[in-house]
Amino acid sequence: METNWAADNLQTIRTLMERSALYRRALAPIMIFAGTMGIAGGLTGALGQIQSNRGFVWLWLCTAIASLTGALFLVRRQALKDSEPFWSPPTRRVSEALLPAFFVGLITAVMILVSSAGTQSWEVQFFLVVFWCWLYGCAIHAAGFFMPRGVRWLGWIFIMTGCILLAIASVLKQGLENVPLHLLMGGIFGGLHFVYGVYLHFTEPKKNVA
Amino acid sequence: MNPEIFLQLNRVIHEKGRLAIMSALAAAPELSFTELRDLLAMTDGNLTTHIRTLQEEGFLSVAKSYQNNRPLTSCSLTVAGRKAFAQYIDLLDQIVRQAKPK
Repeated sequence: METNWAADNLQTIRTLMERSALYRRALAPIMIFAGTMGIAGGLTGALGQIQSNRGFVWLWLCTAIASLTGALFLVRRQALKDSEPFWSPPTRRVSEALLPAFFVGLITAVMILVSSAGTQSWEVQFFLVVFWCWLYGCAIHAAGFFMPRGVRWLGWIFIMTGCILLAIASVLKQGLENVPLHLLMGGIFGGLHFVYGVYLHFTEPKKNVA
Repeated sequence: MNPEIFLQLNRVIHEKGRLAIMSALAAAPELSFTELRDLLAMTDGNLTTHIRTLQEEGFLSVAKSYQNNRPLTSCSLTVAGRKAFAQYIDLLDQIVRQAKPK
């Protein structure tokens, strides 16, 4: 039919517009790095027996900053390798989408740091695990609108993990105090990133453009 | 189907390669030559020819700069290019709608 090409052209235009607006740097090394950092953070907290609220916040704040710095370094290295700008429009859009939730997470961490000198509360730390899961899930879900589809799924997994943790805590009410929260953090943040990174390593295209 | 509508399609944009370039640039403020080449899987020569044609038509602007001591060519749509692209899509849309059984 003579009009089929018109529909085909519209579809091609749509596909190309979506592809050019998406962030497409290789995510596998970034996810594997973030996962490794998360697992290392969990082990450090558990083996170092960091139990105070401040210690908990400091450890995970440092892990987050180290992961973020390393991720930016990997992105920059990929950009240099491909002779492309590091701060490309898709990179900017992804960063802007991540920023609000990251900012709230940081402010919460600072508030706990300021207000809980010398205290140790399992409830506060558990609240942080759940809250950070939600915030991080929302952050990467928002960024996922400018990234491959799987990232939004990962965002939902973090959000649902936070909900499940809260539901378990609400139902059980007691006996959870023995759950090692550092290992829980390491398992959630480190484990999920690591598994997703390994999955991407075997599935995502090797050529990347941001 | 009104045959007039086919005559209104912009012939410069209608070519497959140039349509791909216009589509990619319509969704991004600007793209480098390398990004366009990789995204559209075109050869350097083919892409250069199409870019030149679009540039001569006033649909596309090309900026040359240096990044890390390496030349960087960036392309973006001009106002006229965005307008022509929007008109082209409108026409395609009309063609598809007119062809649909009522």
